[in-house]
Amino acid sequence: MSKQLGFLHNSEKCVGCRGCEMACKNEYQSDASVRWRQVYQLREEDFALPTRIFISVGCNHCQNPECLRVCPVGAYSKREDGIVIHNQERCIGCKLCTMACPYNRPQYNTTVKKVEKCNLCYERLDRGEKPACVAACVPEALEVVEINEELDYKTGVLKTLPGMPDPKITNPSIRFIGPKQGVQIRRDV
Amino acid sequence: MGNWEWPLVIFTVLGQTAVGMIFCLWLTERKRSKSGAAPSPEYQSFIKSSVLVSGLLLAVAMLASLFHLGQPLAAYRALTHLSTSWLSREILFFALTLGVWVYLFVLSRKPGTRLTGILALTSLLGLLGIISSALIYTLPRVPAWNNLGPVLFFLLTGLLLGALVIAALGRKALGQAEMKQTVCLALGSVLASLFLYLFYFSGLKVTPEGGATAQILFASPLFWLRAVVGWLLPLILLLVTVSKKEKPQPGLILLVLTCGVVGELLGRGLFYLSAVGIQILGLL
Repeated sequence: MSKQLGFLHNSEKCVGCRGCEMACKNEYQSDASVRWRQVYQLREEDFALPTRIFISVGCNHCQNPECLRVCPVGAYSKREDGIVIHNQERCIGCKLCTMACPYNRPQYNTTVKKVEKCNLCYERLDRGEKPACVAACVPEALEVVEINEELDYKTGVLKTLPGMPDPKITNPSIRFIGPKQGVQIRRDV
Repeated sequence: MGNWEWPLVIFTVLGQTAVGMIFCLWLTERKRSKSGAAPSPEYQSFIKSSVLVSGLLLAVAMLASLFHLGQPLAAYRALTHLSTSWLSREILFFALTLGVWVYLFVLSRKPGTRLTGILALTSLLGLLGIISSALIYTLPRVPAWNNLGPVLFFLLTGLLLGALVIAALGRKALGQAEMKQTVCLALGSVLASLFLYLFYFSGLKVTPEGGATAQILFASPLFWLRAVVGWLLPLILLLVTVSKKEKPQPGLILLVLTCGVVGELLGRGLFYLSAVGIQILGLL
């Protein structure tokens, strides 16, 4: 694998509009039973100060994908650029990958009775276009980046946020720019 | 996860029972072949019926597993990722077990044939199948499963139910010592299962997800029903059976078997229902 593509999500910019979710659904006309991309509002109590934080999570194209390991039919593969692709033609709907992924990203389509997930719009990327979710993000909170040490050393780039599963499980290819916490003004009586 | 998963419950419990039966038959045959005693017609008919029942259970189990799949007709593809997938390996071992069982079935119909070797091979493949089954669930995402627990519980289900079915089928053909050995195996399995569960519970509380699993189990009336029917009753009845010198009454063995089957089915259902996975903690 020559590089690892992934997402950089800026929680400071994300307003939780779910435009990325809608763009993804619109692009692939995916079934109502699945959400390839999902916006979560992280729990306020997980932060030192009450903060409203949204994160947008699709497949994290993990460096150690559990879905790829457990799949009995070899429906998953990892491209040279690190994108984890799910070949729905091979899927037999055993749902083991949905149990193994800590991010709940492979989802079972109850209409076609097979699993499906975000393939990072690899056809669009190969054409030099941005993925549908990234292109549709109005506040530009989501972008596709190369996950490497240089990125991880940048100030403010985080591997995880409170409430996210331990990244050691699968080494997800997602990084966050955490929200700036508000200033608490204490007034002494 | 979070569901009863009945096809998987039936597949695992029946498949493990079949393998447990073949293992118990191997133990009995091994002892008999050492003593060199000529098999009675009753014993031969017991072997035939036991082999047939084990194969039927295995076939029903494998058929039931198909109902879990979204695409049952493409199930054959599950054999194509043996390099890393325990599910692939499980299907391979169970398919091989069924294949070798056909040969065992043919041999069991020929009077006077020694079955020790083929029984050993069939039970070895079956045991590998059970271990592969259990390793499917050792997922880092699910702390309640990501330990040795599934392997031990799956093996104990096979031993308990396998021994009880053999005891029920062999109530006339098996000698007193053989019956005692089979009943003791069942008793040991219940005791081991009970103590392992207590040990397993103590480990669950280490992670929040494991704690949630323990909470689901303790809050479920079905878990307490499983504890009474699957552990307590078989334990008392088997202790009574072992303590007596004479052969156990067939009715008693059938009662323990019924309790064991209900307990194991409930236990396996709860295994799937109570699993809580690590996930993003946020509002959707």
